[in-house]
Amino acid sequence: MRPLALAVLLAAGLLAWWLFSPRTPPPSDAPGIGDILGGAPEEGFERALAPRPFRFPADHGAHPGFRNEWWYFTGNLQTDRGRRFGFQLVFFRNALAPGKADGQSPWRTHQTWMAHFALTDPGAGRFHAFERLSRGAAGLAGARPDPLEIWLDDWFLKEKDGRWRLYAKEKGFSLSLSLSPRRRPVPQGEAGLSRKSAAPGNASYYYSVPRLRAQGRITLDGRAHRVSGLAWLDREWGTSALADDQAGWDWFALQLDNGADLMFYRLRRKDGGPDPHSAGSWMTADGRVTRLGANDVRLKVLEYWSSPRGGRYPVRWRLRIPSLDVDLKVAPVMDNQELDLLVRYWEGAVDVAGVQAGKPVRGRGYLELAGYGD
Amino acid sequence: MKTLLWRASLRYLGRHPWQTGLSMLGIALGVAVVVAVELANESARRAFDLSMQAVTGRASHQIIGGPAGLEESLYARLRRQGAAPLSAPVVSGHVTHGDYSLRLLGIDPFAERRFRNFLGYAPDGQGEGLLRQLLTRPGAVLMSRTLASRLGLRVGGSLELLVSGRKRQAVLAGVLHPPPQKAAAMTDLLVADIATAQELLGRLGRLSRIDLILPEGDRAAAGAVEALLPAGARLTPAAARARAMQEMTRAFAVNLSAMSLLALLVGMFLIYNTMSFSVLQRRELLGTLRVLGAGRRDILALVLGEGLLIGAAGTALGLLLGVLLAQELVQLVTRTINDLYFTLGVSGLFPTPAGLARGALLGVGGTLLAVLAPASEAACSPPRAVLDRSRIEGRAGRLIPSLAGAGAGCILVALLLLLPGRSLVLGFVALFGLILGFSLLTPAAVALASRLAAPLLGSLLGVFGRMAVRGVRASLSRTGVAIAALSIALSATVGVGVMVGSFRLSVQQWLEATLRADIYVSPVTPSNTGNEASLDPALIAAIRSVPGIAGISQGRPANVQSGEGITHLYAIRMARGSYAGVELLEGRPGTVWPLFDREQAVLVSEPYAYRHGLHAGDSLTLDTDRGRREFRVAGVFRDYGADHGVVNMRMSLYRQYWDDDSVYSLGLYLEPGVDADTMVEQLYALAGDRQALRIRSNRTLRESSMETFDRTFAITNVLRLLVIAVAFVGILSALMALQLEKARELAVLRATGFTPGQIWGLVTTQTGFMGLLAGLLAIPLGLMLAMLLIHVINWRAFGWSMDVILPGGVLAEALLLALAAALLAGLYPAWRMARTPPALALRQE
Repeated sequence: MRPLALAVLLAAGLLAWWLFSPRTPPPSDAPGIGDILGGAPEEGFERALAPRPFRFPADHGAHPGFRNEWWYFTGNLQTDRGRRFGFQLVFFRNALAPGKADGQSPWRTHQTWMAHFALTDPGAGRFHAFERLSRGAAGLAGARPDPLEIWLDDWFLKEKDGRWRLYAKEKGFSLSLSLSPRRRPVPQGEAGLSRKSAAPGNASYYYSVPRLRAQGRITLDGRAHRVSGLAWLDREWGTSALADDQAGWDWFALQLDNGADLMFYRLRRKDGGPDPHSAGSWMTADGRVTRLGANDVRLKVLEYWSSPRGGRYPVRWRLRIPSLDVDLKVAPVMDNQELDLLVRYWEGAVDVAGVQAGKPVRGRGYLELAGYGD
Repeated sequence: MKTLLWRASLRYLGRHPWQTGLSMLGIALGVAVVVAVELANESARRAFDLSMQAVTGRASHQIIGGPAGLEESLYARLRRQGAAPLSAPVVSGHVTHGDYSLRLLGIDPFAERRFRNFLGYAPDGQGEGLLRQLLTRPGAVLMSRTLASRLGLRVGGSLELLVSGRKRQAVLAGVLHPPPQKAAAMTDLLVADIATAQELLGRLGRLSRIDLILPEGDRAAAGAVEALLPAGARLTPAAARARAMQEMTRAFAVNLSAMSLLALLVGMFLIYNTMSFSVLQRRELLGTLRVLGAGRRDILALVLGEGLLIGAAGTALGLLLGVLLAQELVQLVTRTINDLYFTLGVSGLFPTPAGLARGALLGVGGTLLAVLAPASEAACSPPRAVLDRSRIEGRAGRLIPSLAGAGAGCILVALLLLLPGRSLVLGFVALFGLILGFSLLTPAAVALASRLAAPLLGSLLGVFGRMAVRGVRASLSRTGVAIAALSIALSATVGVGVMVGSFRLSVQQWLEATLRADIYVSPVTPSNTGNEASLDPALIAAIRSVPGIAGISQGRPANVQSGEGITHLYAIRMARGSYAGVELLEGRPGTVWPLFDREQAVLVSEPYAYRHGLHAGDSLTLDTDRGRREFRVAGVFRDYGADHGVVNMRMSLYRQYWDDDSVYSLGLYLEPGVDADTMVEQLYALAGDRQALRIRSNRTLRESSMETFDRTFAITNVLRLLVIAVAFVGILSALMALQLEKARELAVLRATGFTPGQIWGLVTTQTGFMGLLAGLLAIPLGLMLAMLLIHVINWRAFGWSMDVILPGGVLAEALLLALAAALLAGLYPAWRMARTPPALALRQE
């Protein structure tokens, strides 16, 4: 569910401001996240109405008939000497209008792309975030299923010899990883159909590849580090929006040392309560998947972090799943992992510690907190 | 004492309002012309900067290609290699809407953030909507609200554009509200998404350029970009390109400035005249003041102060007049630049404090300079001598030989200055030296002429004639100056007239020789954008099969890079009849044409050869789409079409080196007996709605070319008239001073029995004699100026050679003008003298 609103944002609101105002703050009448998440999508786009089987590699590619889509890579890395890093590289696709664009120019398209690249360096207490935008035409940005390639400028995911290469670069910073899936893609929601509200069609197709072995190199402030670790891919496409009474979400992607992975998103209502469409899944090493509903997971905020740019993010949590006898504490590797980009949100590397069925478990993961920045 | 002096001075000025007013007017006119030209030049330059700035934005570098632009995949390659994170593609071109010539700028909004800020000018809250429209609505364009209201367009309204003669529909997706300081640069700008621009301009797959922001001084970054460039594309600092374009208009601006300085010079003569007159007239007063104890310094300060007062008032008036005049001049300048150099969409007056200050400085400084001589004369004479009028004239008379010597020296130095080099500015310095020298020689010439003329006029008109002529000689200190002022002004008209006349005739002859085809066909485009336009290939094929056409030549103008500059290339497929139209100045037809037709050789025009120091047999380097290549210069040909020069290349050679197969113009040779006008009609019918064409018969093209020529010199004519106006004021004031001063003398004549009619005759003869003298003196100087303008200035500024043709009309005109001005100027004094009862005039004693 989570980054849906980010992509919706691409279509509405602040984009024009971002594109054309290099140094001025957004106008005070700019729409807030809540305003943007409302609003019905335009007619003419495809909708996610019923479950459908996923086919690979085709479904790793783009689904331009739907309004929004993303490829969301996050992961925890470390050097041989144990120095920790977190990374996020995400490609968003957003269609400004349904259908194919009229016109003969190769630049003509309705597809727009945005990408975010962030590195967490808890040892130095530094967090770096960058973004790129482009049209999905003229070879500047796009997605191809076979061999898989998703790119925006010189940031890309590329398949070669059965492996994925993930790459992003900014002045002084870079990420270059080789990723190999340890798990098959797991359909989320109802066999891949993830409902966002009671309204039919307000849903997306959603699968995750919760465990990817990552190996490669990152550069921070011009210094390169060899790293390895675990990454996570979240894929989603649809033509949906938050319901009027929804305010934001908290998303967890946790990889535990007993081989289990947990994905859970909690949709928050404007009145502060949880939305019944919150959902997730518990994925064990042997491939079993347990769907989790809103009532299966108990969440408690342990601590907030106040952003110097405004807003208060719940960064420490206690997460319990009574039905699976899971009790975990989730804590960020550093507090300030807020991306102050076109959209402001918090997305960062976390540590997990707790017990399952009386046995201690530890793990790492990523946490996304949206809708707090206003 | 000081206040007393000043009161005396002010009272004098007040009691001679005509004198004071006229010299003020003279300075005002001079300053006005200088300021107007300065402002017009400055405004044209600023308009150019602004219009460049609007489209260049904050780019530090640009990647540019050949005439067909860049292959668009280059941009994606740069981005995907990460070689230029700050880069923005641009597709731009000129279009017309009705009578308006507009620039269409196609941008990629996603790459624009750091370059230009057009969408930032969207009305509050509309930015996102405009962006969406820009990207998703075919034909969507944005413009400033000023332009929208000028074109009478509303948001959502459609807008028909003519692109290279083809109709295209655009939609006004929204208006922008740029801040005032940015608005001027956007008065001719349509902003569109790059896809829309490609579609509207018919440039699918191509980019006009890629803008870059590279870290300052980072050679590695530039190197990384250059490593990815294909042959024919090059990385260049953004400012260099603008400079190269601006450089083309430099000679034009220098010429205008020189013309304007001439007006000021004439104005300076005028104020000199006035001030020396006032000193002479007040000799009694000044003498008395000296006797009363006023020091030399006081007198000097007094006269200088008066001059300064008049000069300052005249300058103030001149600044005002100059700004008004500049409004008109800037139109002329802009039009000329559009005709000759490039389309300058932005127009309007941008008065700069610097321009006004320069005008003011010149006005006041010139006045002081002019007043210095009379002031020191007044101050240096001993108290009693000031009273002595004839002493001054006597001294002036004794000064004649040394003045003449100085004048001759001046002319000699001026001519020596011409010897070395090709400096245009030095050419103008020599020009002014010549003028100065001549004016210093004028008193001697006047003295000589009146000595010679006195017996002649005496025998013709009796005592009147002799008196008239002797009167001129007797007041040489002022008549000399007045005659000099008038003859300088006249010589300027003679010089410029002869130059323009010779030029015009040369162009006419050249057009007749060059335009060999019977009919010329090209798409309708804003002037000077032919390199962006092309004829529909299907239409060319259709024209080819029209019966009655014996041969077709094809042309394609293109701007290509050569070193740091831009070379105007003209690719031509010659028809059999075309060869005879090329007048070779270097190289023989027997050797030139085989080279041109078969080898890697080109022909260069005379200005091009001059500018680049090329001769037949040399070679020149051009940046082609295949990389840098050398071309042999087969010959030099006469061409008045482009002052920055042109390189002619055969079409097949051009296409071998540049990826561009468009054709801009056709020259049709008709079979004998086919009527050109009928064929023109037929071709218009053939083109129909496919493409708006300009189809002109040989005669109409020749006529419209001459129209452009005349338009170009319209500004010269305006300046010429202004110089004459200043001189006229000068002679008027000089003659009035002279005659009014003679009031007593004339009164004595009246008292001794002269009739008013005889007084009329005397005054008229005198002024007529002066006018005639000025006219006669103006002719040799004018001819010398003409030679200088043609052989030095024109050659150095543009590289054009031409024959000097002496139009008798110009000379006669100058004489007539001189006589008329003088007689007209004598009218009022004569009338006044004739009317004043002698008793009244005598009573002043």
